[in-house]
Amino acid sequence: MEVPSKTQPLFSIPVDSDHKATEFKPFDLSSPHMRAFHLAWFSLFSCFFSTFSIPPLLPIIRDDLNLSDTDVGNAGIASFAGSIFSRLAMGPACDLVGPRMASATLSLLTAPVVFSVAFISSPQAFILLRFLIGFSLANFVSSQFWMSSMFSSCVVGRANGVAAGWANVGSGLAQVVMPLLYTLIMRFNVQSSMAWRIAFIVPPIFQAATGLMVLAFGQDLPDGNYKHRRRTSKEPKQKVFDVLFNGLKNYRGWILGLTYGFCFGVELTTDNIIAEYFYDRFNVNMDMAGLIAATFGMANCVSRPTGGVVSDEMGKRFGIRGRLWSLWLVQTVAGLLCVLLGRVNSLWGSILVMCSFSLFVQAASGLTFGVVPFVSKRSLGVISGMTGSGGTVGAVVTQLLLFSGSNKFSTQTGISLMGLTMLLCTLPITLIYFPQWGGMFCGPSIEPDSINDDYYLLV
Amino acid sequence: MESYYLLKTSLLLFCLVETCYGGGLFSSLQQTLAVTASPRESQVLKAGEDSITVTWGLNQSLGPGTDDLYKSVKVKLCYAPNSQVDRKWRKTSDNLSKDKTCQFTIVNKPYGNNQSFEGQIERDVPTAAYFVRAYAYNSAGEEVAFGQTTDAKKKNNLFEIEGISGRHMSIDTASICFSAFSLVSLFGFFLVERRNRRLAKN
Repeated sequence: MEVPSKTQPLFSIPVDSDHKATEFKPFDLSSPHMRAFHLAWFSLFSCFFSTFSIPPLLPIIRDDLNLSDTDVGNAGIASFAGSIFSRLAMGPACDLVGPRMASATLSLLTAPVVFSVAFISSPQAFILLRFLIGFSLANFVSSQFWMSSMFSSCVVGRANGVAAGWANVGSGLAQVVMPLLYTLIMRFNVQSSMAWRIAFIVPPIFQAATGLMVLAFGQDLPDGNYKHRRRTSKEPKQKVFDVLFNGLKNYRGWILGLTYGFCFGVELTTDNIIAEYFYDRFNVNMDMAGLIAATFGMANCVSRPTGGVVSDEMGKRFGIRGRLWSLWLVQTVAGLLCVLLGRVNSLWGSILVMCSFSLFVQAASGLTFGVVPFVSKRSLGVISGMTGSGGTVGAVVTQLLLFSGSNKFSTQTGISLMGLTMLLCTLPITLIYFPQWGGMFCGPSIEPDSINDDYYLLV
Repeated sequence: MESYYLLKTSLLLFCLVETCYGGGLFSSLQQTLAVTASPRESQVLKAGEDSITVTWGLNQSLGPGTDDLYKSVKVKLCYAPNSQVDRKWRKTSDNLSKDKTCQFTIVNKPYGNNQSFEGQIERDVPTAAYFVRAYAYNSAGEEVAFGQTTDAKKKNNLFEIEGISGRHMSIDTASICFSAFSLVSLFGFFLVERRNRRLAKN
């Protein structure tokens, strides 16, 4: 506990020497740390909700806009492609202006794009719209950055995991809420193609509201906002390019980007294809298919936080080596379950395997961001951006290669192949090595006391 | 012995279940109905506004007892092949329970020879090219015969329907207002923060 003095603020939550919280108390709103947590996950939740509000209404939209299967597939890929660039840019933006300003600006700038759903009437406009809406997923990077700035290393995995996990529920909830909204509006005798346009007013209102809340109630750091800290801090001012290059030349950022592409990227792809898969292969009706797809997304509520908690527990006992081993293990099991999902022939067997798969693949995402905060302190934003962006690159690549409609093989073969690629692309985790903490197979090579400015102390 | 009997019975039941779910094939149906519809070739109709008249009856060249089994008839709007291209959800399948060619029913009534029907095109019909097909059903509700306004390759006598776009001035206005609010409040916050910083400096 900090000794209260005239110049140092009192926190209602235990903090370390950097004033970062050492405990995670989700139901306590009095400290800036927990307020930041709730603002971060809630605003990201609204962005996920907006991005995934279109897929459940596709059966109506595709007839209204005269879309073909190719248009729908391209729009799905475009929605992830948009977020690749924005996540890369969000990293340095957080380093520069702070996560509060960066995330609120993004939420408030992309809300008008979702409002423009009211105007679209051609396939090209539809694809462009999904591309632009995908930009809002960059708020993932700002939320992870914000958590890493507010929470100490002993709970950062947990904070990152719970924030991202609860936010990801937005993608599942949208699959249930949007069709209900549409049906409700039609009860007022509104014609179908007007009803879905009206339904799309709701997600961006929610998104803009969360952006405003972040601006009004959030702060970048335990002690205040970025601009304020800059003037009083004794740290040397970092040039933008220094921070950027420092992050880009760190090989661990690239490896984590690749592995995240094959846990979170695979999760995004599955969100996009799973309803149609169950509808086509097992002949369930549309509502049931939507419910199954929603279950996959909503499992994030517990599975991703579990990944974060496991990472922190392994970190406590075995340091970074424990975090790396648990990440590799969980993601490998997820890959095996994905291979199995494509091979199961019964409906209930598939549902069971899909549920287990969702638990492991989402936990792997949580475990990844249990490692990211330790890669670089100076370029935390850039590393978070590279990893987050890698996630969506993985989604785009798997969708293009395995599920784009021009393939000769069936969806179930595509799913098994996706599992095999996961197993392959998880292997590079074995190559990650920290000189003062070691890697999966090697111990540390330098004394922890002789660290330089680039690395954290693992408290 | 008893388990063998149980196995045979359950296998038989499963087979019957298969036929209950309409495993009927389109290629097994006889084309005995002559169907005509009011739209001319390539005419464009508006959903929710224009009306369509369809007439159907037994083909003149067939004997009078051919339609004894027909108890009801359903006349449907069906997608033309060029509106099915690259659209799996409109795919034609020989298995009638899986066929998605004809998704809109114009009329469903008890069968009688030389009937006609005039009705407004439903407002939910999307923009596409169509033809009209009539299915005759027996008393068990199974398809037994059909007739259509186009040829076997579905190339002739196709017409188009223009769907309702759903765009409306009120929705456009609401959308613009909310977007403007979102942008104005963002810049408002920027200005307030800049002003506070300037005040804190002084």
